[in-house]
Amino acid sequence: MKDTPISPDQMSESTEASHPAGSFRPSRPPVPLAVWLAGGWVVAMVLVALLADILAPYGITALDLRNRLAPPGTPGHWLGTDELGRDVLSRLIVSIRVSLLIAFGAAVLSAVLGTTLGFLAAHFRGVVEQIVLMLADFQAALPFLILALAVLAFFGNSLVLFVCLMGLLGWERYARIARGLALSSSGQGYAAAVRQLGASPARVYFRHILPNTASTLIVSMTIVFPEIILMESGLSFLGLGVQPPQTSLGSMVGYGREYLTTAPWIMLAPAITIILTTLAVSLLGDWLRDRLDPTLR
Amino acid sequence: MLRFLSLRLGRAALTIVLVVTFAFVVLRLSGDPAMLIMGAEASPEAIAAFRASWGLDEPIWVQYFAYFGALAQGDLGMSMRDGRPALDMVLDRVPATLALTVPALLIKIGLGIPAGIYAALHRDSAIDRAVMVLAIAGFTVPSFVLSLLLVLLFAVKLGWLPSGGNQTLLHAVLPVLTLGIGGAAILARFTRSAMLEVLNQPYVRTASAKGVPWRRVVVGHVLPNAMIPTVTIIGFMVGNLIAGAVVVESVFSWPGIGRMLVTAVANRDLAVVQTILLLVAATMVAANLIVDLLYGVLDPRLRQAPAARGGH
Repeated sequence: MKDTPISPDQMSESTEASHPAGSFRPSRPPVPLAVWLAGGWVVAMVLVALLADILAPYGITALDLRNRLAPPGTPGHWLGTDELGRDVLSRLIVSIRVSLLIAFGAAVLSAVLGTTLGFLAAHFRGVVEQIVLMLADFQAALPFLILALAVLAFFGNSLVLFVCLMGLLGWERYARIARGLALSSSGQGYAAAVRQLGASPARVYFRHILPNTASTLIVSMTIVFPEIILMESGLSFLGLGVQPPQTSLGSMVGYGREYLTTAPWIMLAPAITIILTTLAVSLLGDWLRDRLDPTLR
Repeated sequence: MLRFLSLRLGRAALTIVLVVTFAFVVLRLSGDPAMLIMGAEASPEAIAAFRASWGLDEPIWVQYFAYFGALAQGDLGMSMRDGRPALDMVLDRVPATLALTVPALLIKIGLGIPAGIYAALHRDSAIDRAVMVLAIAGFTVPSFVLSLLLVLLFAVKLGWLPSGGNQTLLHAVLPVLTLGIGGAAILARFTRSAMLEVLNQPYVRTASAKGVPWRRVVVGHVLPNAMIPTVTIIGFMVGNLIAGAVVVESVFSWPGIGRMLVTAVANRDLAVVQTILLLVAATMVAANLIVDLLYGVLDPRLRQAPAARGGH
């Protein structure tokens, strides 16, 4: 739709594949090295997030006043320390956990919300469909950052609210995709067949149509996920997202900005982590899209 | 065509009403601005007087309709902090923001589209690969990181450019570059995809097979068709001229709309926030309308049955 910033990933390079349905496929191409690296990075990040308590050598608020602004490579503080002598590596590890937790929670929320609304629109049509589409138009008309800024500062800030807010990012894309897919699936034999057998609408949608549209929705998730990471870190960078003493990748960059001239490592470590993570998820998403869903190409 | 136009205009108006409603509901229901502005120690009488003078003691729906009524007369309320009309305050900042976003838009179009076209026409060449790598970087490097990296390089290490403020023309260079580079990368990737899509169409094969010179195939057949999706993205960028620099303005202490919004949100200056929200939404809706009209110019097929494309 013209109202939505279509992700570049949804545009296609149709020269590369588009096997006609049922055509013979001799062998799958090997998984490219970049995808292996991206996958490895994502797995590493998830492990870091899960094991943050074990991995972090210090507490995120533990001060080491004799080693303030220690450069990277200092024994005991391999990524250096900040102005209060807090260990950058420990803060980075905990920030990865917080940022991934928010992004993952929000990505799931957005997918569930959007898919449900899309299915509702497809099922009821009429007024419900118009309302969903109108809300989607509204979401697309207002830049998400502006909307988030207004909601956040005016409702105060808690982690739960923040995750819910981030969960609004991209819902309208799932809703449009889910609605379109559900409409076309409803016309196919299998949906009509289970309906004739007496299945409830919920059963038709969630047990039959959802599995048949899952690959497209999963691919959309890999497109929305990096956007959520970037939005979260941007808001936290502005001081309006994750609040101290809690730390996230974005708020670390925001804090490090004050020490750009004297201690750039405070800002570089989380910045590089953000870049590599969004890059890795995008690469994985591109590859998954080629594999799972040629229609999105 | 007239039906299509009125349909689009109606939807645009509806979107604006929704934005205003959203802003009003969120901002009014979220907390008590009187307590915040006056402070916790203010006497109950002072708070009551403050509420009465701002209309905050009326029922919420009265406030809502009063707001719409005032809006219709171009009155967007007074800033609770400065006591000045919010619209004046916001409009004062528009030129500063446009001074960043318009040159940045020119950079995006001037770099992004040629790079995308070149990359698509020379697919898998070294330049194509370089464009793609840069385009992916443009998407994955957030603007606050890019701006800090540029400051680190050009202001701290090389000392060529100032790192913040708006005193001279030189102060605008880094923020404009930050905005322009990121957008150019995105536009290049889009243009390349759109070009490749069109290059693969049967009519392009037909044209070159019947002996039309390649240059004329590209100029006459490929470019016009590839421009349609690209125009959509440019329209989105135009719509973002007002709101697109929130982060960058904050990093570079640039006195534009974005920084004003961050401050107003932190101060709960309701009128200013609503005015900015409305201005941003209006810009976005207007840009979308223009894009819709441009489709008709770019694609003669759509002039025949414009309404068919407008639906979902």
